Amino acid sequence: MAPTGYYVALSGLLFAIGMIGVLTRRTAIMIFLSVELMLNAANLALVAFARSWGDLTGQTAVFIVMTLAAAEVAIGLAIIVAIFRKRETTNVDALATLKG
Amino acid sequence: MIAFLLLAPLALIGAIITVAAKNAVHASLGLVGTLLSVAGLFASLNASFLAATQVIVYAGAVMVLFLFVIMLLNANQPISGRDPVPFVRELAGIGGVILAGALAVIAFTYRDPRPLAQGVEGLRGIPGVSTAAEIATRTPGNAAAVGEVLLTRFLLPFEAVSVLLLVAIVGAVALVQRPVPQPDGTPEKERVVLPGPAEPLVEAREPVVLSERGRL
Repeated sequence: MAPTGYYVALSGLLFAIGMIGVLTRRTAIMIFLSVELMLNAANLALVAFARSWGDLTGQTAVFIVMTLAAAEVAIGLAIIVAIFRKRETTNVDALATLKG
Repeated sequence: MIAFLLLAPLALIGAIITVAAKNAVHASLGLVGTLLSVAGLFASLNASFLAATQVIVYAGAVMVLFLFVIMLLNANQPISGRDPVPFVRELAGIGGVILAGALAVIAFTYRDPRPLAQGVEGLRGIPGVSTAAEIATRTPGNAAAVGEVLLTRFLLPFEAVSVLLLVAIVGAVALVQRPVPQPDGTPEKERVVLPGPAEPLVEAREPVVLSERGRL
């Protein structure tokens, strides 16, 4: 059985890769995919800590995070489709009119 | 240990494909690989219920939704052209290295307080969970144990999340519905004219670039 620290290290690597994706990708869908990666990294750390502490609270939190992620994906993709109908693009640079 | 050593490189490779792939379909398939590897890691962490949920909800439903939208919007090609923030790649690289380093320091100085099988014994103190706790002592993290905790200690968040899912479904339907055609014969496809944004969108709205509709 691998130590908890290994799982947390893997979780940190996945989270960092997801963060790089959020910062560098320029399509709204790709940013969403990277956010999913970050959520999964957090879930992995939660499950590892749940085993480490001998408590199922972490696993329950992962269940709730999964549900929230599903809701977020549904709403986010609906917003992307609605924006695409008006603007013909999902480039976040072109959609930055709310800035400032 | 062997499961971790097999699955961790798969998860990392999938994550790198997700972030680096030019084609959005390839990226989402890389994310499917990562999600399945993480499901295997959940199983190796005694969380069999979460592993099954991960495969069904994430790798199944959510990724189908992603692929559907990518193909619907024809958004599988990357954006070409000048980057408006020139230093963002360096910034992202530095931030990622710092984050991974900080988490690695935490990770390799972490010591287990107590293993899960021992901690599930504590559930016996709560009235009404004795049978599920007995099952959980043998296989902690199965559906019975997680459901017991979810419906006793976490009942309010559970109900709140169910309401949230309902709101998300209604909101998604409301967001993507087409405008109702007006009775005076206004064409349904009439495009809303938006106020012109500052600089970059002006060229993007020229009809020459409109032929590049798929170039996202």
